[in-house]
Amino acid sequence: MSSSDTHLVLQVSNFSVDYGYADEAVRAVTDVSFSLGRSRVLGVAGESGSGKSTLVYGLTRLLRAPGVISAGDVTLRLSGAREGETIDLLAASEDELRAIRWSEISIVMQSALNALNPLHKIGKEFDEVLRVHDASLSKPQRRERAEELLALVGLQPDRLQRYPHELSGGQRQRVMIALALALRPQLVIMDEPTTALDVVTQREIVSELHDLRERLGFALIFITHDLSLLVELADEIMVMYAGRIVERAPALDLYRAPRHPYTLGLMESFPPLTGERVAMTGIPGSPPNLKTPPAGCPFNPRCAHAHDRCLSEMPPLSDIGDGGRSVACWLHDPASPLEVPVSLSRPGESTPGGVK
Amino acid sequence: MRTLLRRFAIYLFTAWTTITVNFILPRLMPGDPIQQLIGKLQGRVTPEMIKAIKAQFGQGLNQSMWTQYVHYINQLLHGDLGISITLSSPVSDVLSSQIWWTVGLIGVGAVVSFFIGTALGVLFGWTRGSRADAVIPAATFLQSVPYYFLGTILIMIFAATLHWFPLMGAYDPSLSPEWSWTYIASVLRYGELPLTSIVLSSLAGWMLGMRNMMVTTMSEDFVLMAVAKGLSRRRVMWHAARNAVLPSVANLALTIGLLVSGSLLVEQIFNYPGVGNLLVNAVGNEDYPLLQGIFLLITFTVLGANFLADALYYVLDPRTRTAAVH
Repeated sequence: MSSSDTHLVLQVSNFSVDYGYADEAVRAVTDVSFSLGRSRVLGVAGESGSGKSTLVYGLTRLLRAPGVISAGDVTLRLSGAREGETIDLLAASEDELRAIRWSEISIVMQSALNALNPLHKIGKEFDEVLRVHDASLSKPQRRERAEELLALVGLQPDRLQRYPHELSGGQRQRVMIALALALRPQLVIMDEPTTALDVVTQREIVSELHDLRERLGFALIFITHDLSLLVELADEIMVMYAGRIVERAPALDLYRAPRHPYTLGLMESFPPLTGERVAMTGIPGSPPNLKTPPAGCPFNPRCAHAHDRCLSEMPPLSDIGDGGRSVACWLHDPASPLEVPVSLSRPGESTPGGVK
Repeated sequence: MRTLLRRFAIYLFTAWTTITVNFILPRLMPGDPIQQLIGKLQGRVTPEMIKAIKAQFGQGLNQSMWTQYVHYINQLLHGDLGISITLSSPVSDVLSSQIWWTVGLIGVGAVVSFFIGTALGVLFGWTRGSRADAVIPAATFLQSVPYYFLGTILIMIFAATLHWFPLMGAYDPSLSPEWSWTYIASVLRYGELPLTSIVLSSLAGWMLGMRNMMVTTMSEDFVLMAVAKGLSRRRVMWHAARNAVLPSVANLALTIGLLVSGSLLVEQIFNYPGVGNLLVNAVGNEDYPLLQGIFLLITFTVLGANFLADALYYVLDPRTRTAAVH
């Protein structure tokens, strides 16, 4: 990172992940580049199998075999006592990684029930991370901090005495969020944290997250397939398809005026919160087999607007000069033979730097 | 707590059923086993013994079955299991003098192989997919060798041919049982080979079971979370192992339940004293009171072990306590 990028927390360039080795390898994430500013919220959306989870587990070096990072650069800017330093996450040793795990990057997984050790009381989970990363804290101090953290997410201190299976789904996910904030990390990654919850709890948690981020100022990568949820929380949204970013735009712009046919399809798969009832159309077909991806744009078999060029050439992610948006679609290429359809050319009511 | 109490009630009922069956069976036996037994003893039998034997089988007392049953239960409650015909002493005395050999050898063997096997299982599970996996076929082989074969081979090689270990028995026959260092040292020395054979034959089972549970547990989210939290490798392994060990602990308790019946082969092959040897002799001599006593003992160890397994699970896995919490 250059000195002008000190406001950045994370910088990712040309990041690729394979599953399997050599000839057997299947590319699950291809050539992903993005950067994340301090206290910013990046939403990552896409269907199951689009590579969004693989992307973040790859970035944090938590991929399980046979996942292999095959290319890329990931730089994390450190905070606190190591302010000003950066660390190359892909080159870091196990020890270096261990030092920044949870204290700089923490993670919230989809199923809190599976992510919490079933044999540990909630209190022990907090006690453990606090003890391992800060030996100077005494036991009463750790307990006090744990109670503080629970209060942050609206839970009573008596929850510390409970086992995971004794809490409701929403309480468990709140525990996970509190746990993720325990060491005041500057980057929190949330992998579909609300997917397993009912809609009401989803909303509550998203609005709590919004407040927490305002107060504590951590940067957030929030993965979901529910775009309507993202738009409330994210500054910027990245839409992934078949392991690639197909569209990236300020959240509200993307929500109001999608440019990529896939983004539009994804939005039409969820009912809007307000306004008229519209028919859910969904996206015909299913995501491509990554072992034998279609030639050209991977979305072409499911795309209503696919033309000759889409079948042979991969569209690059390029700035279309529309309020900081990038889209990987030939429709928006100046040389495109087709008129951009109305549904993909609505004016975005863009406000600079994204909208709340 | 209510869960445990309910389990306890079930075991109590099972125990009562066994006792009742144990009471009824000899009384349903065709022919006259008593005369056969007395004949077998060839004159070494006193009138008191005949009376005792008859009483054991409910004959010659002109009592109703019910009175006999109440009497039987009453005797049991006082620890009176009748008189062994061949040994001419109370069955309870015979059993209590022999059980410690069985507990000492088979029990210790089970516990030792559990600890070693489980520890190895954790390590091999942790290093799955590495070259250490080569140990699996060897372990599977060891697990599939029948115990009597393994035991006999060990005796042939290490005791009969190489003379590294004593051939048979539980202590030097020239010594008499007493609390002296010489005697204890002799017991330990004579126990080495039988103990090794038990550990060898059951080690692989514990190891493979634990390794498989480790591999399954390690794919759980909370293990990945432990890594993400920046915990040391040792701590991550502990998170996985502590969860993976639960089925093994339950199995250990159940194995201890098979202590008495499992002792049969070991004690025969090594000519070691204990309940297994007693059982074989009792069967050979048709010593029914002793047999009944041993069967009761087997039933109670199995029941006790099952209860122990339940209790251990209750302590080790909070999820089994849910009913009590709410």
